[in-house]
Amino acid sequence: MLRKYKVIAAAAALALGLTGLAGCSSSDDAAGGTIAIITVDPANPYWKAEVDTAVATATELGYETTVNAHGNDPAKQTQFIDAAISAGVKAIILDPAGADESVGAVQKATDAGIPVFLVNAEISAQGVAKAQIVSNNAQGATLGAQTWVEAMGGKGKYVELFGNPTDNNAKVRADAYHAVIDAIPGFKLLQKETANWDRAQGKTKMELMLQAHPDLQGVIAGNDEMALGAIEALRAAGKLSKVKVLGFDGNDDAVAAVIAGEMVATVLQPIVDGTKAAVNQAHAYLTDGTAPSSEKQAIDCILITKENAGGLKGFVLS
Amino acid sequence: MNLNPLKRRESNGTLAKFDRRAFIVEIRALVALAIIIIFFSLLSDKFLQYSNLVLMTRHVAMNAILAIGMLLVILNGGIDLSVGSIVGLSGVVAGYLMQGAPIPFTGQVAYPNIWAVLVISLIVGILFGWLNGLLVAKLNIAPFIATLGMLYVARGFAKLITNGETFTKLAGNPNLGNTGFLTTFAAKPLGIPLPIWVMIAFAIVFSIILNRTAFGRWLYASGGNPRAAALTGVPVTKVNIRIYVLSGFCAAAVGVLFTADLNAAIPNMGEFSELNAIAAVVIGGTALSGGRGTIRGTLIGAFVIGFLVDGLVLIGVSVFWQETIKGAVIIVAVAVEEIQRILERRQKLKSAS
Repeated sequence: MLRKYKVIAAAAALALGLTGLAGCSSSDDAAGGTIAIITVDPANPYWKAEVDTAVATATELGYETTVNAHGNDPAKQTQFIDAAISAGVKAIILDPAGADESVGAVQKATDAGIPVFLVNAEISAQGVAKAQIVSNNAQGATLGAQTWVEAMGGKGKYVELFGNPTDNNAKVRADAYHAVIDAIPGFKLLQKETANWDRAQGKTKMELMLQAHPDLQGVIAGNDEMALGAIEALRAAGKLSKVKVLGFDGNDDAVAAVIAGEMVATVLQPIVDGTKAAVNQAHAYLTDGTAPSSEKQAIDCILITKENAGGLKGFVLS
Repeated sequence: MNLNPLKRRESNGTLAKFDRRAFIVEIRALVALAIIIIFFSLLSDKFLQYSNLVLMTRHVAMNAILAIGMLLVILNGGIDLSVGSIVGLSGVVAGYLMQGAPIPFTGQVAYPNIWAVLVISLIVGILFGWLNGLLVAKLNIAPFIATLGMLYVARGFAKLITNGETFTKLAGNPNLGNTGFLTTFAAKPLGIPLPIWVMIAFAIVFSIILNRTAFGRWLYASGGNPRAAALTGVPVTKVNIRIYVLSGFCAAAVGVLFTADLNAAIPNMGEFSELNAIAAVVIGGTALSGGRGTIRGTLIGAFVIGFLVDGLVLIGVSVFWQETIKGAVIIVAVAVEEIQRILERRQKLKSAS
């Protein structure tokens, strides 16, 4: 009997501890109030940089922050927006879960008088969010594809690793890649596989495509994680030196691969600059009501090759 | 008298080894596997190539090892949804230790050798499995809920440890004496990747445990009818805790193998793999109600899923169809068995009247 009570007491203590923790993180006693940061998935280095930048910038400006991740699930996004509204936050920094799916959630916050600043991805309506700061994916992918075409010597058989099909950026990047590559008659796409932005899936899919097409010469990937998975598969197959890989994002592992000559190029999305801009614009709006000069703001991407890769760390090029 | 032949038969679960129906279901899974192999070898001349078979079997092995642990849990009428997260957590722990683990209060950094890394990573899996077992067996929390909670807790810990980063410095440093993680755990003895060897070893060891030990008999007995088993002296609680420990252990082993295979410890690793493991167990003819199922069937189930998924990629089927077809095969594989049961029961009722 006594043992049973001990177990129950321990469970109760644990539950109390958990609620206690949750209570701390949502306090908004700070002078500036709270800014809610809603991102996609901080376990991915790219979004981690986004979150870290947003938190650091907001803290510097005297705000408390809350961080949540919707994992590209619009239903979760709506929950976090609802929670932010009822917590009475001053502003929301949002990396939206889908262009069409997110309009309603942003509208809700705007109706509640909370300004929303979008980073990284856009929504399909204008005039709802205060700002939509996105990196110019099409421009970046064009740069990457041009460099890769050069490295391939203007021709060859290649495969494609496509990002999460519900994410607009996957299509934007692939379209820009193909706009460059398909214009050149010497290229042949052998197979296109979805690897959901994920390194493990990128490796598995690449291993199988190597079986199906042992003669492939190039890989274009919608992001660095999938490209890094492909590189692992190529390394194990002893084909790394013969196959040209293109990535996108400019994360630290990809930069190391570019320096090692394993990846032809990657494209840096200036996520740190974009996120800083979003928080600063939110601050300006909250302090004296200055709205951003234009809602849609595109920041150009930067091509990362062996020449400049050494100066890149944590998504910042020095 | 016997109005429900179905129920009566299930209470015979203690004799699972000799269960005629389980045998037939296994044969059916084998037929499904044969169909998949013939189908894909007709569509792609690459499918039956030795290198491709080894590759696909390596993919299968990861799921099969998880499925073996899952089988033990399901044999007892439970479910373990946390294995995918434990894969990620133990992989991340291995990666963390390879980067060097700061020792609290001393300001020093420990670089354990790879065997210590392996043992600690396995212990993490065992610990989480044990917690699952305590929640289910001692607190009587439904396995679905307890392990669902642990799914989030373990994944959360994995992300806390990495702080969202990916650990990629796994090669070790000769000066620190911690080299060999990749060469050992991604090795290919006799040209066969280590995960396949581990799958074979686990299959043999767990077959012996299930068929030749008291624990195995207890498990089939308590899975078939826990109350009756308890009354006949089976230590039901102990068995219940142990199966989750073993499941956690299997998941941790996969975590280490996965990390070495990918040359990176990623906190998202193993996401949703619990569902593939459950699918393999079910296709292998195991009853979710417990008491009936074998290692052999589970392995066949893992091959059915793995060869199907890889075959679809190999012939270049679109990813949306890949998922749809995989789901349909899981349903068909199980539905065939249920339809057979219904037909059998009708026939019996007819002959009885």
